[in-house]
Amino acid sequence: MQSRADDLPTRVVAMTALYLALASVLGLVEASFLPPLPIPGAKLGLANLAVVLALIQLGPWRALGVTLGRVFVVGLATGMLGGPAFVLSLTGAAVAWFVMWRLTTRGERYSAVGLSLGGAAGHAVAQLVVAVGVIGSAAPLLLMPYSLGMACVTGLAIGLAARLILSRLPQPALSVAR
Amino acid sequence: MRRLLTRGDVQLLVILVIATVTAFPASDIAAGYNDGTAVISSPSGTTTVDLDEPATYRVEGRSGVVTFEVSDEGLRCVDSDCPDQVCVRMGLVSAGHPVVCAPQGVTAMLSAKGRQDVDAVSR
Repeated sequence: MQSRADDLPTRVVAMTALYLALASVLGLVEASFLPPLPIPGAKLGLANLAVVLALIQLGPWRALGVTLGRVFVVGLATGMLGGPAFVLSLTGAAVAWFVMWRLTTRGERYSAVGLSLGGAAGHAVAQLVVAVGVIGSAAPLLLMPYSLGMACVTGLAIGLAARLILSRLPQPALSVAR
Repeated sequence: MRRLLTRGDVQLLVILVIATVTAFPASDIAAGYNDGTAVISSPSGTTTVDLDEPATYRVEGRSGVVTFEVSDEGLRCVDSDCPDQVCVRMGLVSAGHPVVCAPQGVTAMLSAKGRQDVDAVSR
């Protein structure tokens, strides 16, 4: 089902590293320059742009490496490795990846927009659920509507950005989406 | 580019929007009625706060102190020992809108008559 532009391992490894770096930078920029919103874990999800691109161009497993890798890199750089914020970040990334992966294996065709929406929603829900575990009360769940609302908007925006980027890439790299 | 959004994309977007919209009233209903008090939970215990009495509450979180204040407007978080200060930005505690400091493990929410906890949020 998937066709990659070039199955040469070297190229794939290089692109994976590229996306990992991109995801890390996007995550850091977001953490440094954008103030946190008043919802635990809610953010723009800029790093997901790189993850979605990696998912589409390199496949699910490389994309998993990209998203887990960037959580560690950003965690290291922002000094929250191992703390509750790290657990939130890691779970959000893992669930977002899982949702996006499952979307690519469904019969229905989703573009980067659909994948991004799925990833954003998965991330939002996962973070609130983990926050419940971290905090010990069901209070975070009450923030679900705000979190999901953010996911709609950011998922759409990031997905459209991903599509734009993909449409500008020179090689016929595409697999599940365009 | 061909179509801007595929059929699957639109389906997902619609589902997500519906989920968001239905989550709002569901969340408020789940929060229940308020009897004039709020509850601040933290790793160091639970504090019941009387919303009619202006006061300051300093609560021990996981690794620092989170400060709440009751004023004419209600209960809000005014400071926290964490870099993001998300809880301070969250503003007043209100129905369906608890104020949470995730890193410190502290939450403040309005009490529901009868039940103290939300068991489920249906949407």
